[in-house]
Amino acid sequence: MLAQLIVSGLVNGSVYAVVALGMTVLYRSTTVVNFCHGEFFMLGAFAILVSQQVLGWSYTASILFALILLMLFGSLVERLLMRPLQNAPHISLAMMTIALSYLFKGISRFFYGREVVPLEPLVDGGPIELGSVILLPQDLLVAGSSLLIVLGFFYFFQKTQAGKVIQAASQTPRGAALVGINVPRFQNFMWGASAALGAVAGILIAPSTLVYPDMGAHMLIQAFAAMTLGGFGSLPGAVLGALTLGVLENLIGGYVSSSLVEITAYLAIIVVLVVRPQGLLGEWRQGRG
Amino acid sequence: MRKLLSTAALVLTASLSVAVTPVSAETGVTADTIRIGMFGPLTGPTAVGSLPLFGAAAVYKDVNAHGGINGRKIELFIEDDACDPNKTISATKKLIAQDQVFMVHGGWCSGTVMAIKPELARNPQLPYMVLGAASAAISTPVMPNLFHPIATTNTVTRTMLDFALSKPDTKRVAIISHSDEWGKSHINPLLEYMKTKGIEPVESVWLERGSTSATSQLLKLRNAKPDVVLAILYPPELTLYLRGADKYGIKAPTVTTQGVSIEDMVHRVGNPAATKDLFVFYPLSSTLDAPEFSKWVDMYRKYYPNEPVETLSFMGMTGALAIVEAIKRAGPDLTREKVIDELNKLRDFDPGLQSGPLTFTPEVHAGITSGKMIYWPKDHAEIVATYPVDR
Repeated sequence: MLAQLIVSGLVNGSVYAVVALGMTVLYRSTTVVNFCHGEFFMLGAFAILVSQQVLGWSYTASILFALILLMLFGSLVERLLMRPLQNAPHISLAMMTIALSYLFKGISRFFYGREVVPLEPLVDGGPIELGSVILLPQDLLVAGSSLLIVLGFFYFFQKTQAGKVIQAASQTPRGAALVGINVPRFQNFMWGASAALGAVAGILIAPSTLVYPDMGAHMLIQAFAAMTLGGFGSLPGAVLGALTLGVLENLIGGYVSSSLVEITAYLAIIVVLVVRPQGLLGEWRQGRG
Repeated sequence: MRKLLSTAALVLTASLSVAVTPVSAETGVTADTIRIGMFGPLTGPTAVGSLPLFGAAAVYKDVNAHGGINGRKIELFIEDDACDPNKTISATKKLIAQDQVFMVHGGWCSGTVMAIKPELARNPQLPYMVLGAASAAISTPVMPNLFHPIATTNTVTRTMLDFALSKPDTKRVAIISHSDEWGKSHINPLLEYMKTKGIEPVESVWLERGSTSATSQLLKLRNAKPDVVLAILYPPELTLYLRGADKYGIKAPTVTTQGVSIEDMVHRVGNPAATKDLFVFYPLSSTLDAPEFSKWVDMYRKYYPNEPVETLSFMGMTGALAIVEAIKRAGPDLTREKVIDELNKLRDFDPGLQSGPLTFTPEVHAGITSGKMIYWPKDHAEIVATYPVDR
């Protein structure tokens, strides 16, 4: 049971990691805490649903469509709704993302209000037994895809010129602008990338959890808890926090009480903020950095 | 003087016009209409509860299409409460004070119905019929103006356990449930009933709404080696559970509440092996495709052609039919008091829709006390009273 709980926790945690990574990337590049990231997650799943069931497209075409759509959507949100607020206090930016969260949820409820719609698994196949651990092909795909995405992002930020420029621009926007870097364009790109990451997580998990307008709310809390646990703003921290949270949820549910599974994320946030506010891999920051 | 005479003439004319116009003394009733207020979740995550509202509304529309009741047509005032208790309280106040309805028929979520009980107590003359909410606490203890025409959680959980124990050699019963108000409204009567049978659950786990994984719960259930699992879950989480149970090799049959419909679950889970041993409490008399049930399906489709036809679509109809019957029996001189009296006299009311007869007495307003189970063995639904041992 222990091995199964840990492995399944890692699979769940890998989805949390993709969501948390999307939020962290945006936070690092724009300092915006995006409360509508759960809705990017939900819209990604709905984009697949619509392209498959309404337009009749294949899974591959639907995934491409969903990623491009959400990338454009994230960029549009930045250009039309967030950029006008770029000099506003943080609370205004946060309030805007909260308002957008309810708006997107409301729109999807308008069309799919009472629907909880199933999606075909991305890969078929019966359970695979690895000793005492049972996994579905879908689980392996979720964990594998998440791992690839995480590694891809790390490579991009650590090894590529564009990634380093983005990091520099996010750390000192004014300095970056002075040396000729188009900071708004980078920030616009990061909104798009963040929305696409949200969509990836939605696409990966929707075949297991079904698609419905409120599916993003729960995931947002898990992502916040992962970011807090790993260290707010730290990319490796977000991933480590997410995997830890996934395993913790399962272990607490399995060995303590199933009624504690849902509060594990909140407990993690509280404990980390009290005991180690910078999280596992984060650094102390004062104010906006 | 002329001014005084004019004023007197006006007053006299006004008085006479009031005297000769046929005015009903009862709120919400005119010479040719009866206002009925309805509410339910038309939007939001529980908007599936709009289906029973449409079913009930179809009954009223059909009554109007056939001439109404005692010469009066039913006029519906429908409010969306989104299963939010605050919105339900506002909707009920609006229906009573602003729309001046004769009676109210609504409530899909138990929490919302519980929230308006104080308002109903303040308006003891107002007849109120529950639409689909099942908590036994709604109608126990009895409130004189509140009538509960669907199987309560007491009836549902007793039926579930009796059905589970009808499986030969069943001793080990496990439970998976939500821990919210809805879950507790089932769990509490279930545990009490289990106690009377001398049974303790071998495992009891919680799965919260919105969960994306049920691994720890599933592994605990698997370790408990149950003969049967009683699942008190909403459709998304039941889907998660059934898929996981198949993955982890939990072979015990799953018995669940009327909160889901079998057709919907078979479709959602998308894996026949995971749903072939799923048994759902069934509140209707026949399967939806049975010839004897086509009357109700046709009625629903006639007035709501674009809405899905599911078990839930018919759960509000029995209450609507009981209201129509009581208004009919109350006669042309319609009052709220007479309707409440007639509802209290309704015995073994069986229009061929619900799984058991509806009976209200002044002492008992939980009108349905029996139910059956339905399952999907291969390619169609079948109703069963006991576990099908010949499977």
